Amino acid sequence: MTDQTTPRPVIEARDLKTHFQGRTGIFNALAGAKPAVARAVDGVSLSINAREIVGLVGESGCGKSTLGMSLVRMYQPTSGQISFDGDDITHVEGRRLKAYRRQAQIIFQDPYSSLNPRLTIGQIIEEPLIIHGIGNAAERRAKVIRAMDIVRIPASENIDRFPSDLSGGQRQRIAIARTLVLEPRFIVADEPVSMLDVSIQASVLELLEELSRELGLAVLYISHDIATVGYICKHVAVMYLGRIVEEGRAEDILAEPLHPYTQRLMASIPRMDPGEIPERTELRGDVPSPMNVPPGCRFSTRCPCATDLCREIEPELCEQPGGQRVRCHIHDDRGARQRPDLERPEAGRITEIADAGLLAEATE
Amino acid sequence: MTGHQTLGPAAATALGQLNERLAAKPAAHLQVSGLSIHYSTLRGPFNAVDNVSFEVAAGTNLGLVGESGCGKSTVVKALMGLLPEMTRVTGQALLDGQNILGLSDADLQDVRWNRISLITQSAMNSLDPVYCIGDQICEAILAHEPVGKTVAWARAEQMFALVGLPAERLREFPHQFSGGMRQRAVIAMALALNAGMLLADEPTTALDPIMQSQIMSRIRGIHDHMRRSMILVTHDIAVVAETCETVVVMYAGKVAESGPTQDVLDRPLHPYTMGLQNAFPRLPVRGQPRKPLISIPGTVPNLLLPPAGCRFAGRCPFATNLCRSVAPPTYQIGAQSAACHYVERASQFRVAAAEPDTWRSMEPSR
Repeated sequence: MTDQTTPRPVIEARDLKTHFQGRTGIFNALAGAKPAVARAVDGVSLSINAREIVGLVGESGCGKSTLGMSLVRMYQPTSGQISFDGDDITHVEGRRLKAYRRQAQIIFQDPYSSLNPRLTIGQIIEEPLIIHGIGNAAERRAKVIRAMDIVRIPASENIDRFPSDLSGGQRQRIAIARTLVLEPRFIVADEPVSMLDVSIQASVLELLEELSRELGLAVLYISHDIATVGYICKHVAVMYLGRIVEEGRAEDILAEPLHPYTQRLMASIPRMDPGEIPERTELRGDVPSPMNVPPGCRFSTRCPCATDLCREIEPELCEQPGGQRVRCHIHDDRGARQRPDLERPEAGRITEIADAGLLAEATE
Repeated sequence: MTGHQTLGPAAATALGQLNERLAAKPAAHLQVSGLSIHYSTLRGPFNAVDNVSFEVAAGTNLGLVGESGCGKSTVVKALMGLLPEMTRVTGQALLDGQNILGLSDADLQDVRWNRISLITQSAMNSLDPVYCIGDQICEAILAHEPVGKTVAWARAEQMFALVGLPAERLREFPHQFSGGMRQRAVIAMALALNAGMLLADEPTTALDPIMQSQIMSRIRGIHDHMRRSMILVTHDIAVVAETCETVVVMYAGKVAESGPTQDVLDRPLHPYTMGLQNAFPRLPVRGQPRKPLISIPGTVPNLLLPPAGCRFAGRCPFATNLCRSVAPPTYQIGAQSAACHYVERASQFRVAAAEPDTWRSMEPSR
């Protein structure tokens, strides 16, 4: 399907921004107030090759789903560029947009609400083919059966059943089959296993990996369950408040993260072995609203290591010796050279501790 | 302590007495034996919980783990007396010697919140949107303790400090709180009367990883300070590994395995526990080969028509005809117990269960 000699990525985003316009009341509007803007995705660059699964992790509200939906053009990006196979598809409309969507598909989180309960499995998988005017009835049916084969739902027994007859894991496979039937080259998997029980998560992840390898798909795997990312992704990007704060090889990011946010994120995963439990510093508050992005480093309002420099100047993504890229003044001295008068943060030096002492005080 | 300054001397004394009275409450002991719960449905009785027994020693944490639909939340609801009317509950739950199943409303009122309190799964739905948080916490205190509103409010302030929320936010309404803050508020509420037994029903499931770990740290810290007994219901065995001394693994309404957490995780006896462990994603450790993630094929049986033998037999790679026809009794091995016909072969099973092919081979129609 893809030409293996070209190293060109299947999908590439450059400085992509997706902002949402808030609404103002009529009085504020008359008074000349500008509506608030939620900067959901704010300058993200990312590329995915064929046969590659890129993991995108972060807390809810960090913009990871918005990024995924912008890449398949469910949202219109505010600025920046998306190229698919080298073609700029950032602003395509009409027939060309439809053609793009045939190549780029999305799997949603909740298999209980993303399948129409009144259609049979066969009809659900066939629908995209009808929309794109592919084949006659017999050809479509053959394609549906092949797609069901790929996701290992036996077509003979299941093609005329309804989604309510299937378990959550099977439904998610049907959702995957629906995206595959168009033979796309890029799939966004938005939390595909978070609604599934642990005991069946593995099989869906395995399926995604297999598809990427055998069909040469580029996959963006979005998840807040960081541990699952390590199983299928080679490359991982961590998002915080609309920006990528760290990216690199999965084993580097998961085992030895550099950014204080990633470090806290990794430490928060519960461990099976009591000996492995890492130290967990408490972070203050919640992720700030994307309508009200803090100045300087976006994580500085919660970061335990933040200094004045962090609150003034936003660090750039900076490549580290190991190939990891991280957005933090601790690992990048450009900000410090620009403002030598401000204190620079250091790894491991805690400048502010959240209310951890309250507990001891309150129980006395 | 902050917040005292505004109290008059009389109220401050009353608060001191209230705190002393509450602190004197001992941690509760709970013995559940032979608990069975049948929901009446149009298609017949639904056997959600079948002959479940476990014990929570005073001052310890017990983890109740299992997949969705295995009956773990139903157990919690039964203990709180929250099941719908058309439910048949049999068996016993002795809270410090008193059976708390099937109590009258008046007797239940003395038990609920006073002796046993609940941290609910979705803090969004368990707070009343039209009352401010402080009033909701005070309501519980005023219902059980002979104190005035000022004293109850001061107690609520202390509880807020305990969970790391600023006291002034007691005047706010649930919608003004973020998800993590709401969950903390619910914890504060559950602690308000220092009940001897805490039931935490998936307290962190809907939260982000960082918030989840912060809330669990809170719960653990509070547990260390106050030594309450707790039942933690979760599907996350790693959370149990970090928090609970004992664990009960439930499958399709029955107890599959129980015992000290460390023993159960190190040497699981029941194939379901082994499968659950191998299906659980872990972070990679540099330099160590990583174990493959293995899913358990098949689905939980329909409890309207529970299978004749072991309920896990349909998904178990080691099942025999015996398993499919006779329900296994519970075998005790050391401190651990498991409902499996072949507990003596558990060490063989553990080796085989770590191989993905063992589970894959039994997937005729996956």
